[in-house]
Amino acid sequence: MARNGKIRVAVDAMGGDYAPEEVVKGAVFAAEKEDVQIFLVGPAAILEKELAKYRITNGSTVHVVGASEFIKENESPVDVIRRKPDCSVAVAAKMVKSGEADALFSAGSSGAAAISAIQYIGMLNGVYRPALVGSLGSFASNTVMVDLGANVDCKPHQFLVFAIAGSVYAKKFLNIADPKIALLSTGSEETKGNEAVREAYSVLKNSGLNFIGNIEGGDILNGKANVIVCDGFVGNVLLKFYESIGGHAQVWTERKLKKYPPLRALARLLFKRLFPATRIRKETERQGGGILWGVNGVVKIAHGASRAPQIANAIESAKEAVKAGVVESMKMELEKFNRGGKS
Amino acid sequence: MNIEGQIRDILARITRVDKDIITRESTFKEIKADSLDVVQALVAVEETFGIEIPDEEAQKFQNFGDFVCYVENRVAQKEKV
Repeated sequence: MARNGKIRVAVDAMGGDYAPEEVVKGAVFAAEKEDVQIFLVGPAAILEKELAKYRITNGSTVHVVGASEFIKENESPVDVIRRKPDCSVAVAAKMVKSGEADALFSAGSSGAAAISAIQYIGMLNGVYRPALVGSLGSFASNTVMVDLGANVDCKPHQFLVFAIAGSVYAKKFLNIADPKIALLSTGSEETKGNEAVREAYSVLKNSGLNFIGNIEGGDILNGKANVIVCDGFVGNVLLKFYESIGGHAQVWTERKLKKYPPLRALARLLFKRLFPATRIRKETERQGGGILWGVNGVVKIAHGASRAPQIANAIESAKEAVKAGVVESMKMELEKFNRGGKS
Repeated sequence: MNIEGQIRDILARITRVDKDIITRESTFKEIKADSLDVVQALVAVEETFGIEIPDEEAQKFQNFGDFVCYVENRVAQKEKV
């Protein structure tokens, strides 16, 4: 994979609310580490001008790769295939496919990144679409959730891939040897939930995985399960709700303590210190974004609003994912099911 | 394999549905193909048969049968040339 001990990351330099300025700056920050080589993909003239603002200190570890087009905010992600197959994110994906890069990073349209990954890198055998996995942080430090929003409408077999991805994540990043997997539903009985969840129950029950059945919303934080499986619609709604709890609790508490300024100040301090606890974490503590699990290569996406420090962290995290061999681990787990005809 | 069979195989592979459920009357919605599935299928069919399917034509397909008819006509035109 890596060449000369360096992990090669193809960066979609035109993706993100502050691209290319903050993406180039973040890439330059990330390139300060000795073990990474970065390819900034986008219109060469624009990127070279931007890159000229910085003095690269450790040799030529940041390179520009030309791509004449890029996906704009108002464009459909599907345009990556039909209208703009040579846009920056597509070219970066093709570099991973050809072996010129070990990982792809984009802070642009996550849909465009996912479609580029599907079309140009390809999915692992048995995987239909990529999934997003995240750990629930301090409130449930041994629990991960899949899918966090990559698949709004799911087919039953996708839940099995989500369970496998979550299981690999829990083993790799949380050091849990045999993760307990549960399906999020409206009741613990097999007959509870919508049609997709009921079908998924049957798939997971017969999977040979350490499936413990359904759990309800009230069980999410009690550690009953290490991997909670749900469709991306539920996962994304839950993720945003969960991450907003700290802020709302702080506002409510401060309002209640309006007449007691010292207590109010103390509450503010406590919330500031404690409530990042509800932040969903993906891959590492210093993450910026998440990996698209199930792709035949490391693809890291980050929030569009990411600034240079988050971009640098995300690139670092992509590099760590390559080093940790997450794709190979996922491939091995999937092969067990494909051999047994279970996936 | 004829054109219809090849397109059915492509669509079944992309959407992960059993190819036997895809009939000429099946709509993309009925086989649970979303917009990405359809675009992937169009690209795969274009590559397989060496033809181009403009978006405006693809948008007219009401069902699998329309898709097959269009491709059969384009392939026949191509062979005449």
